Amino acid sequence: MSDVLSASYVLVVAEVRRGLFEERNLDTIGLGRLLGSPVYLLLPDNASGVDASIVDKVIRVGADEGNFQNPLTMVSILTKVFETRGQPDFILFTHSSSGAECAAYAAGHFSLPVITDVSGFDRPTGTFSKSYYSDKVFAQFKSASSPSILTVRSGSFRDQVTRNQATADTESLGAFTAQGGRTFLDYVEEAGGAVDITKADFLLSVGRGIGSKDEIPRYEELAQTMKAVLSCSRPVVDKLWLPKERQVGTSGKTVKPKVYLAMAISGAFQHIAGMKDADCIIAINKDPEAPIFQYAHFGIVADVNKLRDKLIETAKAS
Amino acid sequence: MNSERVLACMQCGKCTGSCPEAGKTPFNIRMIVRKKQFQRAIEEDLPWYCTSCSTCTIRCPRDVKPSEVIIDLRSALIEDGRIPASIQKALESTFVQKNPWGKPRSKRAEWTGKVDFEIPHISETKERRLLFTCCIQAYDPRCMVIPANVSRLLHSAGMEFGILGEEEACCGNEIRRMGEAGLFEELREENLANFKEYGVNEIITLSPHCMNTFRKEYGDLGIRVSHYSEVVQGLLERGAVKLESRYEKKVVYHDPCFLGKQNAIFDEPRTLLAKALGTNSLEFSRMRDNSLCCEGGGGRMFFDVETTYQRNSESRVKEALEMGAEVIATSCPFCVMNLEDPATEKGLSVKEVSEILVEVI
Amino acid sequence: MEIVVFTKRVPVTQEEELRILGDGQSVDLSKLPHRMNDWDNYAVEEAVKLIEKGGGGVTSVAIGDSESDEVLRRAIAMGARDGFLLEANEVLQDPFARATLTYNFLKKENMPFDAIFTGVQAEDEQFACFGGILAALLKIPYAAQVIGIDAVEKDHFVVRRELEGGLQERVKVSLPCLLSIQSGINEPRYVSIMGVRKASKVERKVFKASNYTDSGKSLVEITKWVYPPKKEGAAMLAGDVGEICSKLFAILKEKGVYQ
Repeated sequence: MSDVLSASYVLVVAEVRRGLFEERNLDTIGLGRLLGSPVYLLLPDNASGVDASIVDKVIRVGADEGNFQNPLTMVSILTKVFETRGQPDFILFTHSSSGAECAAYAAGHFSLPVITDVSGFDRPTGTFSKSYYSDKVFAQFKSASSPSILTVRSGSFRDQVTRNQATADTESLGAFTAQGGRTFLDYVEEAGGAVDITKADFLLSVGRGIGSKDEIPRYEELAQTMKAVLSCSRPVVDKLWLPKERQVGTSGKTVKPKVYLAMAISGAFQHIAGMKDADCIIAINKDPEAPIFQYAHFGIVADVNKLRDKLIETAKAS
Repeated sequence: MNSERVLACMQCGKCTGSCPEAGKTPFNIRMIVRKKQFQRAIEEDLPWYCTSCSTCTIRCPRDVKPSEVIIDLRSALIEDGRIPASIQKALESTFVQKNPWGKPRSKRAEWTGKVDFEIPHISETKERRLLFTCCIQAYDPRCMVIPANVSRLLHSAGMEFGILGEEEACCGNEIRRMGEAGLFEELREENLANFKEYGVNEIITLSPHCMNTFRKEYGDLGIRVSHYSEVVQGLLERGAVKLESRYEKKVVYHDPCFLGKQNAIFDEPRTLLAKALGTNSLEFSRMRDNSLCCEGGGGRMFFDVETTYQRNSESRVKEALEMGAEVIATSCPFCVMNLEDPATEKGLSVKEVSEILVEVI
Repeated sequence: MEIVVFTKRVPVTQEEELRILGDGQSVDLSKLPHRMNDWDNYAVEEAVKLIEKGGGGVTSVAIGDSESDEVLRRAIAMGARDGFLLEANEVLQDPFARATLTYNFLKKENMPFDAIFTGVQAEDEQFACFGGILAALLKIPYAAQVIGIDAVEKDHFVVRRELEGGLQERVKVSLPCLLSIQSGINEPRYVSIMGVRKASKVERKVFKASNYTDSGKSLVEITKWVYPPKKEGAAMLAGDVGEICSKLFAILKEKGVYQ
């Protein structure tokens, strides 16, 4: 490793998607704050929407995001950072598709310890909490050496973000060209056409309790407004309110979205089997005894159609 | 192979004439047998329509066994790996957890928490009378009441019984009908080994599907295998179980295919109901060996065909309403599950026979 | 085309309550059923599909104890030509240690490959690092969370990587390369019991992991296992309709599905 005397700092590698500074970066910066000052933010040159008062230095890299998030380029970028600013104590990435990809590759390239999906930090023991078996237990990890690479779970540390009086200075790191081994071509939106509910991050699922086929268009509107994909339980398909490809359950599809919003679904066993592994299950039902509340992370007892209308209204207003 | 009898088929059409899927779905069993005779290709999704009711096999004058032809077709698709995703999931779950619902094996005896007495492991009993729970009744909250109820009935009669608990594996009846012969053999082997190890003397089943495969496909067990309705009827006759009150609702009885037409158990559940009601239960026009299949067998609990036809369960509900029934009673958990949704929508309830009995003891 | 696919035997923990033993020493996995890591099914299927189309062979490698033979048999039943077991009786929690062991194995045994596939992550540890570290050690290009292989040429692949919310990234990766395969890229074929029995006739070679382990210590280690904070059923959102809406949107934002 470089023998330049390492100035202790935390390097946060930003995730920028189509020019926008992603909200999940706040959790990475938050953990950075917990781990120590100063926090340096590494950005591709096409990033916008960055609040530079929440970090202590911004380093802009002469590479646009497609190149920046290429792990082969990232290790060249990091090499230059280490050469010019010394080695940090920690290099933090978001725990996301691009973040975890770069973190692993960098760990292998520089022979550094890596811990992913960090959701907790225990200062007295200096250990990081990492989920095992889908959050059933957590392992406290200790890193053997410095710097360490961590990827940070979205939603875990954003209230640790603090604001400085002044916005941080921006330095530039110079230009980086794409490496031969891998090249970014373009972004692609998921192919339209037949709906595949198993690929959606966010499912809005309706049950028989919505009442009638006439209520479906408003649910379609809500799904569109929230950028969710519409799915349903079996009785809705049996009644021909929605096509079979939308059915979640033992005789339909099994889904594992980030969020499953179940509206007017009672929670019959065969339905639960198709969605119980969703990261976050939110259930809305007018019956407080509905079995679905036993499987949900969040619950709302309400007139589902009325709440739907209010949600559409609220979403459109913002 | 099971299709060796296809050449005996004379295309009389009795099979399609009795098939619950005929007419309203693309499934035509007579045509499928014809194609098999000439070794023509059959569309991949067709074999999955079959509900394994076996009416075709029972009625065929030439003993072609069309329901076995379907199992053969499914086997071939399975070896090729080209099967519907939900069937695949059910089979893979059965391999890992010994039940097709994806529930953990370790929780197979959780239903015992619903009764207020200890249910011993079969090895801890003197009489080695095994109560075989069945997968859906072990795990589905709606069906868990059935083993709980039957346990109460047997317990109140002083009849000793035990369970296998976590060691119980799926009986394999549906697995064999889905065409996974290898998996069926493994399940059978495991259950047989357990029956032998614990010196099981008698098996009481809660599901007609389990009873069917134990009686007909597990070889010569050398022990009695009964459906609980047979046992409880005997207990009632002996006076070991006493009914204290009367069930006041109007009840119509639906014959499950695996209990009725396939194993000729028509009277026992009716006798139980008659005793509970104080009068005979009502009858559907299609009853006994002519009963209308609920479309839950043959893997259909894990796979739903994509058509817009009126389901048999809906026709049953309609008829029940027309005759003024308030409750549809049946003695198979798959029938319960399939009838309940359309029934509750029309204000009817569906009860497994044990649920009615438990209300009047 | 020669493809090496890494497969892992993992415990099935859905709906099980896990117990931590000792004072946070370990997790009791003794009574759990096991199966092939879900993501690895997709990786094997994708590799087999590629060689079914263009010729070549798939070699499945598993690191674990002798029970891991189960996943090798499954991979062979799906169409892999060989199965190699890197027998290790102790679990290596540090992904770096596993990647180094594997790197040494591939080099020492001169394993030829045009591509290496792994699943995105293992169901148990969910590190998602093994492939990336190994690719860096091998000095080959890496693409994670591959949801589609659009083009297969003699010297490169064009693949799509899954990002968030339906968005994908298309990248060109030269060969040899390492891809971590995302679930949903294909529909893994069903493996029947008879298929597995047939696969058992193919010899699975066993290599001792100790012959390839570096003597250096792990870079990360687990000091303790802990339970997550108790969850008492659904957290009910209360308030008037307006408040409930705000709370709901806040949850959606936090989960990253709504901005």
